[in-house]
Amino acid sequence: MLDFCDVHKAYPTPQGPLRVLDGLDLRLAPGESLALMGESGSGKSTLLHLAAGLDLADHGEVLLAGESLARLGEPARARLRRESLGLVFQQFHLVPSLTVADNLRLQARLAGREDAEWSAELLARLGLSALARRYPEQLSGGQQQRLAIGRALAPRPALLLADEPTGNLDETTAGEVLELLLDLVRDTGCALLLVTHSAQVAAPLDRCERLSHGRLDHDPRAARP
Amino acid sequence: MHTAFLTLLSHYRRHPGQLAMLLLGLWVASALWSGVEAINASARDSYARAESLFTSGLDGLQRADGQPLTRDDFLRLRRAGVPVSPLLEGRLEAPDGTRLTVIGIDPLTLPGDSAFASTDNQADNRATLANFVTPPWQTRLSPDTLGAFGLDLRNATGATPPLADGQRLPALSLSPALPPDTLVMDIAAAAELLGSGDTLTRLVAKAGQLDEAPPGLALTRADTQLSPGQLTESFHLNLTAMAMLALVVGLFIVQAALGLALEQRLALLRTLRALGVSGWALVGLLALELLVLGVLGALAGIASGAWLAQRLLPDVAATLGSLYGAGVSSDLRLPWHYWLGGLGVTLGGLLLAGSGVLWRAARLSVLGLGQAQTWRTGFHRQLRLMALGGGVAALAALALWGWLARQPAGEGLMAGFGMVGFVLLASALWLPPLLAALLAWLSARLRRYALAHWALADLQLQLPRLSLAMMALLVALSANLGVSSMVGGFRLTFLDWLDQRLVADLYLQPPVERTEEIHAWLTERPEVAELLPTRRREATLVATGVTTGAAAESPPEETSLDRPVVLYGITPGVRLMPSWPLLDTLEGRDAAWAGLAAGEVFINEQLAIAEGLAPGATVTLAVPGQRETRRVLAIYPDYGNPRGEVLMATPRLAKTFHAPPRSVGIVLAEGVSSEALGRALNARFAQGSDALQDQRSVKRLATTIFERTFTITRALTALTLMVAALALLASLLAQARERRRHLAPLWALGVPRRRLLWVSLAQLGGLALVTGLLAVPLGIAITAGLVGVINVAAFGWRLPLHIFPGEVALTVTTAVGVALLAALLPALRLWRASPRALLAEETPA
Repeated sequence: MLDFCDVHKAYPTPQGPLRVLDGLDLRLAPGESLALMGESGSGKSTLLHLAAGLDLADHGEVLLAGESLARLGEPARARLRRESLGLVFQQFHLVPSLTVADNLRLQARLAGREDAEWSAELLARLGLSALARRYPEQLSGGQQQRLAIGRALAPRPALLLADEPTGNLDETTAGEVLELLLDLVRDTGCALLLVTHSAQVAAPLDRCERLSHGRLDHDPRAARP
Repeated sequence: MHTAFLTLLSHYRRHPGQLAMLLLGLWVASALWSGVEAINASARDSYARAESLFTSGLDGLQRADGQPLTRDDFLRLRRAGVPVSPLLEGRLEAPDGTRLTVIGIDPLTLPGDSAFASTDNQADNRATLANFVTPPWQTRLSPDTLGAFGLDLRNATGATPPLADGQRLPALSLSPALPPDTLVMDIAAAAELLGSGDTLTRLVAKAGQLDEAPPGLALTRADTQLSPGQLTESFHLNLTAMAMLALVVGLFIVQAALGLALEQRLALLRTLRALGVSGWALVGLLALELLVLGVLGALAGIASGAWLAQRLLPDVAATLGSLYGAGVSSDLRLPWHYWLGGLGVTLGGLLLAGSGVLWRAARLSVLGLGQAQTWRTGFHRQLRLMALGGGVAALAALALWGWLARQPAGEGLMAGFGMVGFVLLASALWLPPLLAALLAWLSARLRRYALAHWALADLQLQLPRLSLAMMALLVALSANLGVSSMVGGFRLTFLDWLDQRLVADLYLQPPVERTEEIHAWLTERPEVAELLPTRRREATLVATGVTTGAAAESPPEETSLDRPVVLYGITPGVRLMPSWPLLDTLEGRDAAWAGLAAGEVFINEQLAIAEGLAPGATVTLAVPGQRETRRVLAIYPDYGNPRGEVLMATPRLAKTFHAPPRSVGIVLAEGVSSEALGRALNARFAQGSDALQDQRSVKRLATTIFERTFTITRALTALTLMVAALALLASLLAQARERRRHLAPLWALGVPRRRLLWVSLAQLGGLALVTGLLAVPLGIAITAGLVGVINVAAFGWRLPLHIFPGEVALTVTTAVGVALLAALLPALRLWRASPRALLAEETPA
């Protein structure tokens, strides 16, 4: 589903280039769920951005459903994101000008694959049916994150990328949201790449990797002296 | 408090664009207002100087037979004990081409309490007076005339600069109270320079001192002469209205910037409140911030305004000179109160623009503070208030319209401006509620189209910040369309009118004493097909009569008046009659011309409107020793003439009112060249180069004057439109960072950046298109107000309403163009932002 092959990424800083990813390899199979852990600044978000085609690697290849993102132009990467990916951000990024129902359907509509029944089911399962006509700012943090998850899953993506989806929530709400997320992922059969620094959040997922110094800890090359 | 104030100001360190937008708004608003006020102040100073001169404020005497006065007439009257003083006026050319008015006086007989005496206290000094009246004489002039001779203040006094014709002026002596381009000297010195021999221009006497005109002379009372200040009042009122418009548009920017700056500081205000700063203290600090920014912006604006005025003043001076004969200095003379007034108006406007924001800040609850929802709810309330305010303004406009409809034509200049102002205000206030309703309606209908739905919903979210800029754009666009349609219509009408009035091929201005001789010579020439001599004389309209009731025989209802008018004689010949424009006749064109030849009169539109006269009315005209009543057979348009005019057939005017000859129009025979006749005329009579002009050059001159008249109008409307464009740009730039935060998630959800860019442009372009389309009917309404009410009241003539599809298309295109240009910069910044920068800004709204 998703392949990172020897991916390098650095950002220019006044002190010189800051290497964030340094020859990273990663593979995620269809339907598989993977938790990516690491310290702050270890490159987790960068990895997610590269996976979504929001940014490009300096070197190496990122393949999504067999297609090299670097070889695709911006419009084609956008199409791929629209049709095959679901994105959940730590800070929700709901569209403040749209109602809850319209926010939920936004990506599905953009992808041209709105399924009214599925949208309604999602709203119900997320506990948002009664709030469908409200605006995001009228929701609690947990409700907003549930809505962000619903928006990402409404077009039935092949891969869901989630960046600290419970990072802004209290423990109880975080547990509920995570449970809901995993349920829905299972039901839709999509793959999941979830970035977190919480072992508790990572535990129920199929696999867990730790990102350190730009590489995955399990990477055999990283273990070499 | 000091810390709290600095904390509040720290917002601008992070958002320098907002500070720039605020200062820009204040600067341009103040600059345009101050610029026009500087022009008005400078012109009024010139009028005041002209009015303090002895040529006004004194009764004037001229010969009743139209012949020039001579020194003998003066001596005869003085010997008879009549207290008159001689005046000689003429024109001379300075080396740089400036036309100077030369006034020769006799200070010994000039009425002692005349303005001239009072403006020159040194003249009390006997030595100074002796220098003035005895050779080699003195030339008194204002310092702003020195430029015409290439002199400055240091080397002016005592200098004897040459004129264009090589003659030298008597030694210069500065008199700041004199009007510009005016030279005053003893009458003997003036006669020598002008080569006028014994001729005098007129005799003057202290106002009211003569009970009646001495035999053979005509007396013109000082209070019947219109001063330049009175004549040009409407022109300056028009300018002030334009400047007010620019000020309002500029203040829209200010209010938009203030609203944005406050909205983004809501969290900061909450923090300061939590830290113990009271709500009223915060409002006080915000007011102090306004004051500091206001003073900065106003000072920059007033200085720029003075610069702008200096650039525009020569055109305005030329316009006032050609339209009203008012001499206005091209150099700025600004009184002290101009500077204080500019500061006061700018700060007052700022207070007005900021009061709403301060009021809202004072009323915000601490708990609700910082929540966008609170502010948005405030906007919805604001929309309702705007709709209500717009309704009140529309009712006020309707009420004024109803009142104006019941007034006689030509009345209600201020009411006319008020009506146009209220129409603009109503439209501006209704715009945001209208746009909000339109967006909501469209958004509900396009729910299935995700991106379009998002774009519309997003526009609704942007509307609070864009509405003021859109209001400014609407006002500027409609004013621009209104004024340009009026000017365009006037231009068409004026050019047609010129073609109809200027039917002769050549125009000759012969010296009065040689008129008959030249006329006789021209009559004999085979090149001449027809001669159209004119005559002109000042007279007084002492009564008008309007026939009431069905019986035409019943005596007319008379109204007594004392209105100065010009009697103008034309020759109703075969060339002139078919083309001379008539607006209204009693019994058709042919009957009107036949009646004119038989001794009846036509009157110009200005006079008809001012006195409420229609064809069929009677006018009683008086010149010294003569009083005649004539029937008005037609009304004719007379653009550019500030005075009332009565038209008669030249021979009748000469016979009845002894009007002196003026110019002769020469219609050439088929195939004859005007140059050949001009050469023959010069060879025979040694005419000056400017005595004979061909039709084309007269038209060219008239058209040039016309174009100059509207230079300032065009400049001001264009500048106002630029201000509105700046308002829009500033609004967009100020919220560019937040816009990126709204667009980035959409990009992350798979909308290509290029499409987002187009959507952004389409959002604003669409909003501007709606605004532009609304500006079209509003602009047409303004044109109708200008040509139907304001022009009639201000200038005395009515224009047909012209609508130019090109101007309409240009208005709509300008609206969209301005919006796209303003949107382009933020859109390009979005386009060029690196992905990391775009995502890094993804923080909660």
